[in-house]
Amino acid sequence: MSKRQLAMVMDLNKCIGCQTCTVACKTQWTNRNGREYMYWNNVETYPGDGYPKKWMELGGGFDAAGDLKEGVIPNIQADYGVPWDFSFDEIATFDYTKNNSTPALHANETPSWGPNWDEDVGAGNFPSDNYFFYLPRICNHCTNPGCLSACPRDAIFKRDQDGVVLVDLDRCQGYRFCIAGCPYKKIYFNPKLSKSEKCILCFPRIEEGLPPACAQQCVGRIRFVGFLDDEESQVYKLVNKYKVALPLRSDYGTGPNIYYIPPTDAPAKFDSEGKIIEGSERIPVKELETLFGKQVHDAIKTLRAEKEERSKSGESELMDMLISYNHQDMFRLDTNYYQEIAKTKNKNPLAPIDDRYSKGKFTQQFSLPVAEEAESEE
Amino acid sequence: MNKLLKSIIIAGLVTASYAKTTTPATMVSTDGLINAQRVGNINISTISPSDGIWSKAKTTTIILYPQQTIKLNDAKANKLNAANLAKKVKVSAIYSSNAVAFKLVWSDPTQDKLSGIKSDMYGDGFAMQVPVSFNDPKKLPYIGMGSDGRPVVVSLTKAVTTHYEPNGNGNVENQLGTSNMNLFGDELKQQKAKIASLGNSQYVKSFVSEGFRSMTEIKDGSAKVGMKMSYDSKTKQWTGVVAKSLNDGTLHLGGHGALPISFAIWDGGKMNRGGIKNISSWVAVKLQGKSGDDALVKELTTPPSGNAIAGKAQVEAMCAACHTLSDTKKAANAYMAPNLKDIGGYSTNAYLAESIKDPNAVVVPGYNKNAHKSMIWYNADPKTGKRTTTMPPMMTDDKMINDAVAYLKTLKAGVEK
Repeated sequence: MSKRQLAMVMDLNKCIGCQTCTVACKTQWTNRNGREYMYWNNVETYPGDGYPKKWMELGGGFDAAGDLKEGVIPNIQADYGVPWDFSFDEIATFDYTKNNSTPALHANETPSWGPNWDEDVGAGNFPSDNYFFYLPRICNHCTNPGCLSACPRDAIFKRDQDGVVLVDLDRCQGYRFCIAGCPYKKIYFNPKLSKSEKCILCFPRIEEGLPPACAQQCVGRIRFVGFLDDEESQVYKLVNKYKVALPLRSDYGTGPNIYYIPPTDAPAKFDSEGKIIEGSERIPVKELETLFGKQVHDAIKTLRAEKEERSKSGESELMDMLISYNHQDMFRLDTNYYQEIAKTKNKNPLAPIDDRYSKGKFTQQFSLPVAEEAESEE
Repeated sequence: MNKLLKSIIIAGLVTASYAKTTTPATMVSTDGLINAQRVGNINISTISPSDGIWSKAKTTTIILYPQQTIKLNDAKANKLNAANLAKKVKVSAIYSSNAVAFKLVWSDPTQDKLSGIKSDMYGDGFAMQVPVSFNDPKKLPYIGMGSDGRPVVVSLTKAVTTHYEPNGNGNVENQLGTSNMNLFGDELKQQKAKIASLGNSQYVKSFVSEGFRSMTEIKDGSAKVGMKMSYDSKTKQWTGVVAKSLNDGTLHLGGHGALPISFAIWDGGKMNRGGIKNISSWVAVKLQGKSGDDALVKELTTPPSGNAIAGKAQVEAMCAACHTLSDTKKAANAYMAPNLKDIGGYSTNAYLAESIKDPNAVVVPGYNKNAHKSMIWYNADPKTGKRTTTMPPMMTDDKMINDAVAYLKTLKAGVEK
């Protein structure tokens, strides 16, 4: 456990699968230098195989006894999908004055999977009971990260100040045990650098009081960001007060810190005549239970009760929060907090508070109560 | 002038004694001992497997056993390596006044290179490990990349195809995908040619380490090492060479008459990397013609003196509850304690005796503490990081320890043909 923990809440009722978050992240971090195939943020359709393909079946995480489980490392071509280039160059530079056959436009890869391969496929029969919803995923910045536990080089660390999980690129030797250890498969291998890379929760933005790019750009305003111990933050209220935001697959035992408000507002099912079946659940609650655990029942109850309350009395703090009136309330970050840390460490307040990420100093066992002291001694 | 004259005389004396001691009659013929022949000069940067200089060297077969101490968490790799045998590596050695060099030949059915946009491919490779200090041959560093207070220097090479990043120059701005560049036609071609010219087809790294978790790359250029490897697809054999300076920023071994060395090889085809590898025990390398370090040679070449049959009964009674001795019978919990099923292959008698008597002398870094919380191998002082093992001293009687060591030395996999 870190001293403090940043968390994000995503409201699945409002995600429209527009991929603006995906693109915000891609242009910010992963469009270059061997990261081209990675999507630190992706939005997949559930039910579906997701990204990487069938990630929920690839192992990692912890068993009931707390032992790290074995996992499988996905294949870039088959399970992630590679970005391909079209032959525009060939066509642009072709000498059309000669009497040759004109080149056709072709791709340099034959893709068989991609980050959004089964988008909107879902399950069930149209129109009676088909269903799907979008599941945006980033690194869960887990309390007990599988990737960190798997690394035989201690190259992955969790910042004590805010719980962000980062790879020390200097220590990383590209063994990839972290990928096997992460049950969410949200840590990636950079084949150009031969090192592992992952979502950094936009820590350079966070330290300046800005939310991660994916949250800032979200057009549906489904993402809330803040410290879990900050009782004023909406993240705290959604997770701890109303308990409507739940971690994804907490049965993996890693203590994920990205929380989801389960989708409750799907239309009812239709009968064979096309008539509405009153009171039916188009999204099977069983599926939601698989993803979010047994607490999902209470969360759904609370959400519906508050919705009812809002429509009757016009008053509901929870519903007001979920309307996402303004970013200021949704994102409660703390620049001062980081600047104070920088000050006590005698550092430029604009520099990242923890330079192990860039400098690769020996990474201490994380979450030691004296980690702070140990660092300042260096 | 005097100085120069003096050095010539010394050089002459060394050559004379070299000539005397290289006659086969005086050759030490102890099992597992590598004899390094004196040569005039070793050029670290140009040494190659096909160098004529190797004709002077003698060849010894060293056995490299599969590392079993900890079980890593890659399901596919674990399956591929479950029944690994020990590998034979033919080692030839030479040395000069400032460097020592080894040629290693081992068989590998496939040539695997780290290449392309692949997430689940691994390169073949090999490494050499040298202790920073070995004044007490009974207290060599732990074979798994050293131990607290007993650092080692590791030189590593992997088979790679030409890669353009990292090229060691740090010029990442040249490594963007071409679709990210505002370049077309000839300009684009020029850029691609420029990037290609920056490519690097070498992967040679040096590390300093006090236990495998602490291994840190030496990036300041103070480690002087040259490594190359080449694959013969007819014989299906890798030949690797490594030349290491005896006196650089990392090692000061010039005055020694013998060195302890350990080698490791990785088979990329079996997803070997990191701890999934074959490794030798500390092997004595006698620098022919130089005196000193006889105690080291004796320590590393003398078979255990105890009674292995008596030791078996003791070890099974006292150790098997926590340590796996064999997969088929009496396998302990995989995460409880270091797996000993190949321990005889990659540890020295002295290490085994020391660890039984004083388990705190060398504490294996083990798993990340979060990986197997209920199996604590050691407790670490939060301030100093010093590890204290959870294993109590098991035996105090020297005879018992000797017998246990004799038995533990028999625990090892069979050898590949």
